[in-house]
Amino acid sequence: MFHYDAIDAAMVADRNAEFRDQVQRRLSGDLTEDQFKPLRLMNGLYLQLHSYMLRVSIPYGALTSAKMRALAHVARRWDRGYGHFTTRQNVQFHWIKLSDTPDVLDYLATAELHAIQTSGNCIRNTTSDPFAGAAAEEVDDPRVWSEVIRQWSTFHPEFTYLPRKFKIAVTASPQDRTAARAHDIGLVLRRNRDGRLGFEVIVGGGMGRTPYIGSTIREHLPAEHLLSYLTAILRVYNRFGRRDNLYKARIKILVASLGAADFASQVDAEWDAMDRPRLDLPDLELARIRASFGLVPFRTLPPRSERFEAARSDPAFARFARNNVVPHKIPGYGIVQVSLKGIGEVPGDCSADQMEVLADLAERHGHGEIRVTHEQNLVLPHVPLGEVPALYAGLAAAGLATPNINLVSDMIACPGLDYCALANARAIPVAQAISRTFADPARAERIGELKIKISGCINACGHHHVGHIGILGVDKKGEEFYQLTLGGSGAEDAAIGHVLGPALGADKVADAIDKLVEAYLAIRQPDERFLDTYRRTGVGPFKAAVYPDAHQA
Amino acid sequence: MSEALKVLTANDLAGGQVVFLSEAGWSDRYADAVIFDDAAAADAALEAARAATLTLADPYLIDVAAVDGLPVPTSYRERIRALGPTIHPDMGPQADGGVLVQALQQARGAARSSGRLGLIRRK
Amino acid sequence: MLIRLENDHFHTVEDRFTAVADDAALTGDGAVLLSLTRFEADGAALLAAGRDVGVRIGPADRIEALAPVLPSLALVALEFPKYRDGRAYSSAVLLRERYGFDGEVRAVGDVLIDQAWNMVRCGFDAFETTVGPNAWAAAARRYRHVYQASADNRAPAFVERARVVRDAVATVG
Repeated sequence: MFHYDAIDAAMVADRNAEFRDQVQRRLSGDLTEDQFKPLRLMNGLYLQLHSYMLRVSIPYGALTSAKMRALAHVARRWDRGYGHFTTRQNVQFHWIKLSDTPDVLDYLATAELHAIQTSGNCIRNTTSDPFAGAAAEEVDDPRVWSEVIRQWSTFHPEFTYLPRKFKIAVTASPQDRTAARAHDIGLVLRRNRDGRLGFEVIVGGGMGRTPYIGSTIREHLPAEHLLSYLTAILRVYNRFGRRDNLYKARIKILVASLGAADFASQVDAEWDAMDRPRLDLPDLELARIRASFGLVPFRTLPPRSERFEAARSDPAFARFARNNVVPHKIPGYGIVQVSLKGIGEVPGDCSADQMEVLADLAERHGHGEIRVTHEQNLVLPHVPLGEVPALYAGLAAAGLATPNINLVSDMIACPGLDYCALANARAIPVAQAISRTFADPARAERIGELKIKISGCINACGHHHVGHIGILGVDKKGEEFYQLTLGGSGAEDAAIGHVLGPALGADKVADAIDKLVEAYLAIRQPDERFLDTYRRTGVGPFKAAVYPDAHQA
Repeated sequence: MSEALKVLTANDLAGGQVVFLSEAGWSDRYADAVIFDDAAAADAALEAARAATLTLADPYLIDVAAVDGLPVPTSYRERIRALGPTIHPDMGPQADGGVLVQALQQARGAARSSGRLGLIRRK
Repeated sequence: MLIRLENDHFHTVEDRFTAVADDAALTGDGAVLLSLTRFEADGAALLAAGRDVGVRIGPADRIEALAPVLPSLALVALEFPKYRDGRAYSSAVLLRERYGFDGEVRAVGDVLIDQAWNMVRCGFDAFETTVGPNAWAAAARRYRHVYQASADNRAPAFVERARVVRDAVATVG
């Protein structure tokens, strides 16, 4: 697991001292709100509907037991006893005071945590695969490259004041668990025919008002040139991204307006003119970073665990094993997914007590590692199969054993109008209503993989554009209404969903989802997920199910 | 029952909590809020709040209407803001309960708060 | 107030450049600061006459347009109409790294202390600001280390780390 050296620690300490000074100058009037706001945002502090919200960075979603305990402490001491895991693998605290924030940040620094660049028009947290280091099919550990990018992007002096925020994701497996193609830059690690490691570079994906799937501007960038090439992309964006219109300022707009080929040539022209050896990471530093991720003391275990198999005679454990446990690259280990989508619970929320339980369980059963997924769940990536039953018992006692990973009740929901000043409608109560509709775990398993994603406004923090079913909250004449989309995907088969029909009132949404599911079950063919059936049949049967009186086009 | 009833709100700068202008200064309870029925007085109070840059952030006027004699924000966003997150009835001012809280919780419908739109446009 | 960075030292100086409006007459023989438009009209003549010439560049102006004449310019002033407009940082980096410009690169416009650090790292060595030089220096030196190479040639963290390793190996012998 990566740990700070003296330089990393000094960076955070210097940043915290600077921010403490900036807060003091704001409170004394030396800084206006207009001057302070971008600085506050670059330290992760939003003014939301009820209070300030602090977004703490979890680089590439990787936590340790110690870090999780630190988050629990923040929740207890400075917040209201809980945190919320986000679609960018970060964690949010909804009730932090501005005046406490310098102390919170100093405390977080003792656990190698910070809130640097989790908001603002700068490069944000680089996200990655929560199964990194555990997935058999990964080409290389994407956390290594995410850490490389983290350092390069932190306090980058040229790219601190971009036209808009900038999000990068790194994936290294054929199955994309990072939504890379919906990011400003998505990096897909591959080996070329000669076995050399490189990146497919995808630019201009994004959600929001105008969603896009990104375009590949380079099929195989040799891995050693990652930083110089990223610098070229960011420089073109910083110089030529629009600054006249907030809603047209992301890189996806620039790529769309130039066309991917023209944009790629501009990047190449910049890249060709650079002094690359000065910018690219030396092999020694790469080796240093790589070494820190390879240190898990995996035990030598038989591939099959008698204890695990015996536990499957308990139907509840068997269901958990079926849905939440995935094979590991090391024989005898499993990847255990922890759902933060309890039936009727707030998606992605985790109490301080639960955080401490997770820290203890990870220490006891999981080599001390915990990951955050972009779907607001957690993962214990390295669990010997024989320990899974004991882990399950501990999770169940803390309300963390819901066996619904990737199923209908495993929804993404943004905080929405219950918390967010930008929202038009609430998202959480909609998720709770749907969750209760599909509370029966047997039914949920019968339905199979179904990714519902809910956003409370067009900013799309709930990623509704890439939901198999997407739900967007809108304000229609002073009432909360919800527009459904179908057929989106954030995985390697990335796609933007299509609007199903007129928006529905809040009390109609759960029922509409139920109808869509029943329509799917009635016509699905063997092995077809909801998404596959939709792709085969088109919108017809689904539209008819929800809007039976609508004219057929 | 004037159409132009307003309440002045802001966030406390250091603490972040939602506050309303009351008779006794700024209060975190909507129940204490002064109801303006005079546009000039409301605007004057807003200007004063805007000048209080060391104690307040983002002041603006909320539209309210009398519902069964109680002043209720016409916009559901402002009602949620005055109450607290609807999924945690134990958090925020709504935890205090009372007749006015209930009236806010039960109100339905109506328009966007014009004061909030004005705030967004100013930015 | 104009702050200059020279030999790692921040100090206030008199501005020896006179800003000349686009429609104003050019008189005397002192240093002048012109807009890009004015420079395109009258720059060649001024340089031929041996005047010290500076050009003021807006965020939407392409620094490439100046490339041929950069060796003869004494000053490039890069505008920050609003401090949040970060385009001048790229212009400064390109001036230093791409074109090897070693004249004065001056930040003008909305130049605030909280961006001192970015400006110095991107190669600015002059700052038109209301902030005093000591405060400016403290802000510019806020971070003891840097993660990435930039126009200021500070050693990035990975170079510092390699030095530590090299020195340790040398000590062991």
